[in-house]
Amino acid sequence: MSLRYMVPASKFKRYLPKDYVELVDYGPFGKDYSEVGVKNMGTFKELVEEHPMCSGCWMAYYIKIIFAALPNPENTVTIGTAGCGRLAISQAAVPFIYGNYGDQNAMASGITRAFRLRFPDIQKDVITIAGDGGMMDIGFSMTMHAWFRRERFTTIMLDNEVYGNTGGQESGMSIEGAVLKMSPKGKNFGKMPAMQLAITAGCVYVVKMSPTNINKAAKAIRRAIFAARKLGPTFIHVYTSCNIEYSIPTPDVFRDAKEMEKGRFAFEEFMTPEAKELFAVVESKKKREVS
Amino acid sequence: MYYVAKVNSEMCSTFKCNMCTLYCPEANTLMYDKENKTSWVDEDRCKGCAICVYVCSDLLNRDCIEMAMVTPDE
Repeated sequence: MSLRYMVPASKFKRYLPKDYVELVDYGPFGKDYSEVGVKNMGTFKELVEEHPMCSGCWMAYYIKIIFAALPNPENTVTIGTAGCGRLAISQAAVPFIYGNYGDQNAMASGITRAFRLRFPDIQKDVITIAGDGGMMDIGFSMTMHAWFRRERFTTIMLDNEVYGNTGGQESGMSIEGAVLKMSPKGKNFGKMPAMQLAITAGCVYVVKMSPTNINKAAKAIRRAIFAARKLGPTFIHVYTSCNIEYSIPTPDVFRDAKEMEKGRFAFEEFMTPEAKELFAVVESKKKREVS
Repeated sequence: MYYVAKVNSEMCSTFKCNMCTLYCPEANTLMYDKENKTSWVDEDRCKGCAICVYVCSDLLNRDCIEMAMVTPDE
């Protein structure tokens, strides 16, 4: 499989959009993961382009890590739904599909099955990236049923614990008593146990984390994608604060993420014995061979 | 006028670290120059969140980045 599918004919290069040409010249396509992985962020042109997310948004940061960590970006499809995250995910040089609110995992089920029929010889990765509202409130039934059916794709939940895009309503993932702009009395019930739900529903690899260590975050994303190729559904529950609705000054966003890591977003990893065997094989090989 | 990060290249090049570029939430904004071993900011893209200042000054005590007001003419 060639990573050079993006190269334009040299005579047309001057007429192409500048962003596209820069992606060909300085982007990660056609390069080794050791040259363009998350460790080297800042030395190559990233797949994500300029996006309208807020200043200092930790969700934008995590989305940047997702795209830098992809093992096989030319054969990846991302699926999203309404929410802040899609503003950046849709600006990346990876195909993005946008459906109705909450149906991202239902769409991903069909798309992974269609890919296996249409491209039996190519491994296509499907990743659904949605917020806590799209994944655990409005899309809850579709998320759970995709896991019950053991659909083979990766689910990433960007948990900011609030409906940030619509003015600050409480979500199922807000903590008990959370006072927000649109829930002035405080929330009456607790945070949904997303990680336990995923394990019960049959996910083979589940991680809960706050992205403060970039290598750890990238490793979790890559493991989730590798396990989803062979074994079954995988789930990453990640804390991406909303600095607007929770009134965190932007220079303190990283400090807040580190505090969360000591609290309710302490790093937890679950994997089945089969997944453990798979990671032992995959991670002993060279990075290029597996991607 | 808007608020952007400014890197002191001379000081930055003495440390040869690229920690700030790993924590910028904006894509293709805080870049690392391998030849001169210094970080640099694409000021048109910088949204002025100052997370890089937190990383450089509070975590690493290196004080190579500061925030500044610039006008579009500069």
